[in-house]
Amino acid sequence: MPFREINAKMVEAVVGPGQKMYSQRGAMLAYRGDVSFTPNVQGGQGGLGSMIGRRLAGEATPLMTVEGNGLVMFGHGGHHIQVINLAGDTLCVEADRLLAFDGTLQQGTLFMGSQGGVMGMVRGQMTGQGLFTTTLKGHGAVAVMAHGGVVELPITPGRPVHVDPQAYVAHHGDVTNKLSTALGLRDMVGRGSGEAFQLELSGNGAVYVQASEEKL
Amino acid sequence: MSTPVVFDPMTLPSDDNVNAYTFCVELKGSQWFLQKGKMIAYYGQIDFNGIGHGRFERLIRTSFHSPLHASDWVVAEGSGKMLLADRAFDVNSFDLEDGNLTIRAGNLLAYQPTLALKQSIVPGFLTLIGTGKFVAASNGPVVFMEPPLRVDPQALVGWADCPSPCHHYDHGYMKGVMGGLRSLTGIGGTSGEEHQFEFVGAGTVLLQSTELLMPEQATGAVPHEPGVPGGGPGGGGQHGSTPRMPGQLGDLQRRFGL
Repeated sequence: MPFREINAKMVEAVVGPGQKMYSQRGAMLAYRGDVSFTPNVQGGQGGLGSMIGRRLAGEATPLMTVEGNGLVMFGHGGHHIQVINLAGDTLCVEADRLLAFDGTLQQGTLFMGSQGGVMGMVRGQMTGQGLFTTTLKGHGAVAVMAHGGVVELPITPGRPVHVDPQAYVAHHGDVTNKLSTALGLRDMVGRGSGEAFQLELSGNGAVYVQASEEKL
Repeated sequence: MSTPVVFDPMTLPSDDNVNAYTFCVELKGSQWFLQKGKMIAYYGQIDFNGIGHGRFERLIRTSFHSPLHASDWVVAEGSGKMLLADRAFDVNSFDLEDGNLTIRAGNLLAYQPTLALKQSIVPGFLTLIGTGKFVAASNGPVVFMEPPLRVDPQALVGWADCPSPCHHYDHGYMKGVMGGLRSLTGIGGTSGEEHQFEFVGAGTVLLQSTELLMPEQATGAVPHEPGVPGGGPGGGGQHGSTPRMPGQLGDLQRRFGL
């Protein structure tokens, strides 16, 4: 079920019988009809195994299952909301940025260290994203939160995109990312530009960047 | 969105939004009530007088009925243009025509004295009755919805003409063995959505698009009288305690001194 954007900070979703949706706990603003909100101990899909996996990965956000028949509106904390429609590809996003997503999407966790080895781990530490990220795969819509507005930058082969790690929101498609450093002597003596670390995304897809360097 | 627009007293709009975050009020010898500290700039000759000023005795008698939070409001009087804003929240004006609207006390910025401001029976809310214009702030644009509707308490800005704002508790998932365990221990957590405000009947509900609340403005205590909700212990018949939310530890909490 697609999300309809009511304004920059609010989305609306229609829930039908037999359909399921996951949303961050406490993100419901209003609803009409017969809709139930059940806390989801597992923090998403899968059984106990995936729950433990998420806990270990630090990607377990309190989620709830939204079921029933009606209309639900979502929004949280005054953050801007970006709706991303997935058509079979994979979205990588930090779990705490997830506002709501289709129950048909497959949820998983990805070890960032597997992309870029040691540097991937360094990146996780530097950007505050941690070593793991949540992936969503399949056909459906995801509502992602960001501080400030969001721009979508396409990534095409041969034209990588460099993003400030703090402004990075999510990316989808067939994209590899690595931390590129521009550390020089000036940084050592505290005269750096403040942009010593960048996230370099290359491949084929798109990256979402927020107009703020504030983390959620 | 390109070059900054420069306004002067002539080009400033009259009783309209300058941008999403600023509202301009034009005074032509008229008066407006506004909450303290919401004026950011003005042109012309405008006096700001605290309520309680003897001169306003008549005005206050007709359009200000919350004597206990008189200290939060001032009367702007004179001629000129006055800009109102509130912490970069979205600001909007609303017109009432012989109607009534109840709004969260912290969200109301200013109103015309043709409206009467009264304290709502619902604690923390104010009711405007009559005909006129008022200015309210919200986090994100205000969304208007028709009942029947259930709203997260924090997302509610106000309502107009709704006969029945009431509480609604979801107890569905508290059923069964697991549910009982959950309500008893609080383990497994709550969805955070088992308590809503429910609106039925004809009217309009105003939502703000986020759950970030404006800081609660003191709306003044209601008199301690039997039968007055929120009127202190014994006043509302709730024996001075808030209703227990599902998922809380319940009485165990108190017993262990948590």
